[in-house]
Amino acid sequence: MSGHRLVRLAGSALVAGNVVALIACGGAEPGAPVSRIPVEATDHECRVTPPSAPAGTVVFEVSNKGTTTTEFYLYGPGGEVVSEVEDIGPGTSREMAVRVDQPGEYTTACKPGMRGAGLRGGFTVTVPRAG
Amino acid sequence: MLFSNGLIGLREGLEAALVVSILVAFLVRSERRSALPAVWAGVAAAVVLSVVVTAVLVYAVGRMTFRQQEIFGGLSSLVAVVFVTWMIFWMRRAARTIAAQLRGKLSEALQIGPLAVAAVAFVAVAREGVETAVFFFASMRSAGAGSVQPLLGLLLGIAVAVVLAWLLYQGAIKLDLGAFFTATGCLLVFVAAGVLAYGVHDLQEASLLPGLHARAFDISAQIPAESWYGTLLNGIFNFSPDPSVLEVVAWLGYVVVVLALFLLPGRVRRSVLLLRPVRARRISS
Repeated sequence: MSGHRLVRLAGSALVAGNVVALIACGGAEPGAPVSRIPVEATDHECRVTPPSAPAGTVVFEVSNKGTTTTEFYLYGPGGEVVSEVEDIGPGTSREMAVRVDQPGEYTTACKPGMRGAGLRGGFTVTVPRAG
Repeated sequence: MLFSNGLIGLREGLEAALVVSILVAFLVRSERRSALPAVWAGVAAAVVLSVVVTAVLVYAVGRMTFRQQEIFGGLSSLVAVVFVTWMIFWMRRAARTIAAQLRGKLSEALQIGPLAVAAVAFVAVAREGVETAVFFFASMRSAGAGSVQPLLGLLLGIAVAVVLAWLLYQGAIKLDLGAFFTATGCLLVFVAAGVLAYGVHDLQEASLLPGLHARAFDISAQIPAESWYGTLLNGIFNFSPDPSVLEVVAWLGYVVVVLALFLLPGRVRRSVLLLRPVRARRISS
């Protein structure tokens, strides 16, 4: 019966999505540094402190202190979107964890009002110290 | 603070609420109230699954990377498009049955299992579910830290979405049967086209599809995403003020093909039916 098939289709699509996510999330390399970078977003400012981190996992802790919904983006050296968090409502905080393996000059952006190029700033990913 | 967070809840809740209300109206109009519990079961399953998936995947096991998030969002959108399209053609069959003046056979033509009904409701809600659950957890955390407004806003926004969907249901239920199927079917074509464009956008962000930066147009100055009308357009039709060319192509392609398939056969059928009695009368006179 077609109903059964449809449910199974939906189920397997969701399961497949989860399995993909689990496989790809599972292997956090031991030894790769994890940096926590607080980001304070307001309607007119996007304070990323400090604006640099060693290559590895970077966790941006974005808190929206403004009055309008915002988004947070990290762009790569080539301008491509490395990661984004949408729908950060005023008064809420969201974490964005990113694996950045390539040192270089990245760009962060807060987008109050969820539009435009956003409030941009440089973000330097450095070579992690050996050891 | 309340308002902005409320708009997020409205946007996330609206599309699911509309699809579910059309589904309910459809079942009521086609005298299949017995399938209604299946709809609510589908909705409940999607809500529970969204919360569990979010709690486990996002917070306990580890975070999804941006690419995984976008692939998940893109693929679940495509699954939703398949289901809503199926629902559209199911409505077309109903409209054609009416056009053929076989009203008595309507519920017979609509013999669809309760599982299929549950699946449509499930997919409609699950698509936005994880995103909403993530936001829900974030606003719970703010509430824990003493700021209740984001949580209140989210809940109010979802409540408004449900009220709007209920109003649509009340309106739809009053239409005559033929107009009901045509109107709700057409509305669903545009809803599904929006979901398709949204899915394409996600897959472009995941770099599975090219052309993320090739913008077709940008009217975000005229229709800000954070305005109430921008929110409504986005909530119902997944309207984006600055879509990529590929999003627009997918949207147009879907609307043209599906709307034509939805509307044309019904018309042909009706005109054929109109011709027959005329001919019959001529012969008899």
